[in-house]
Order: sequence, then C-alpha cells, then structure tokens
Amino acid sequence: MMNDKNNKIPFNEDNYTHNINRNNERKLDRRGFMKTLVGAAGVFAISSLPWGAIAAKELTGLSDKKYPKHKITDVNSIAIGDAVDFAFPSEHDSAILIRLSESKYVAYQNACTHLRCPVFWEKAEGEMICPCHHGKFDVETGEPIAGPPRRPLPEIHVKVQNGAVYAVGVKRYEA
Amino acid sequence: MKRSYVPVALLLAVLFLNIIFTQYMVHQYFYEHYTNTIIAAVINVILFPIAFLIYKKGVNVND
Ligand code: FES
Repeated sequence: MMNDKNNKIPFNEDNYTHNINRNNERKLDRRGFMKTLVGAAGVFAISSLPWGAIAAKELTGLSDKKYPKHKITDVNSIAIGDAVDFAFPSEHDSAILIRLSESKYVAYQNACTHLRCPVFWEKAEGEMICPCHHGKFDVETGEPIAGPPRRPLPEIHVKVQNGAVYAVGVKRYEA
Repeated sequence: MKRSYVPVALLLAVLFLNIIFTQYMVHQYFYEHYTNTIIAAVINVILFPIAFLIYKKGVNVND
C-alpha cells in the first residue's frame, strides 16, 4: 500500500538518522549566561578558601619561630628613646632594639620590607626611617606609614631579665 | 511573561564584587593584614549562595 510511506523527509517514525536538531545549538541565551556567572561566583568562592585558611594560620601565630635567646644589651646601657643595633636570629640578620619607655622595648628585623636597606631610628621624629626611598615605619607596631614599603617589619619578641634585654623569638621570619 | 534582565545585571554586579574582594584579599595577604584577608575571603564565599539565589529567582521568569 502506498499509504505506508508518509513521503516526508525525514520520516516521523523510526527516524534514527535525522533526529539531531542543531539549530541555535551555540546560542548563549539568558539562562546559560546566568549559569556561567553563578559558576564563576563558585570558582571565586572556592579559590578564596585557601587564602582564608593560610591567613587564619598566620593569625594563630603558628609560624612564629622560637630561637635560642640572645642577649642584646644591658638595661643600663640603653637610655629611654635610644636604639641599639644587633643581629638576630643569625649574625647576618641585622635588627634594631628601641627603648620607648622605662619598661617598653620594641625590636624589629631592620631590613626594609621594600628593598632591604637598613632602617634606623629617628629619635627626634619618633619614627623608623629607611634612607633609601624615605620609607617610614611606626615604631610601636612596625607597620609601614609612608613611602614605598607596604609590609610591616618582622617583629622580634624581647624579654627583660636580670637587668638585660634578650631577644627570644621572631614573628613570621622567613629564613 | 516578558523575560527580565534584572537578575543578569545583579549577577554581573556579584561578579564585579567578587573581582574586587579577590584583589583586596590578595593584597591584604601580601601586606600581612590577615584579619582583612579572612574578611574578604568570607565575603567571597558568601557571594556564591547569593549568586545562586539570584539565579533561582531569575529562571522562574519565562525564558
Ligand atoms: S628600601 Fe626602604 S624604602 Fe626602599
């Protein structure tokens, strides 16, 4: 019977060869675009996780390093407002101790965090100054306050014992 | 129903914020301001569910 054939190409039934509709296949519609954006947000979120984790680890002080304590100077030989240079933790790591008051001492690794010039203590200004490009650091915290340096100076933990000042550890020191 | 491009604009805003906070996070990490690093990372993480909600609401409008 001729009616068995529907005479259409492709056939509606048993159509195994012309069943792929490629029209608009590559069109980026609104929905697809939004999906991409959500995916991008997911990628940003996941890639933020390690940064948060490492920052949290730094905050807990796990990377503070202890070194054998090292005598810097006698309390009697450093007047209030004066500074003394020393080397800690190794003899090649120059550092500076500043006596801010009767009992307050601060010490930093004094290689500038910009290009490692030695930072010195400007008593009259009450600031730590790097002569190379006029970087300045806050003496209380080691934070950069002016010039090119953007990272704080590594702080050295000090301890006063029996009339002498000792260096006992370094906050975040990369050796 | 007419399709709405408001969700698309919102998602683009989210992407923009993602970029800003990622750069802020990396810089604050380098400057050793770790608290700020964590804050930026948390914001970046929170932006993802926000983006997802915007998408969910947005696709209900007929495409
Ligand atoms: S090396 Fe200290 S400011 Fe450049």
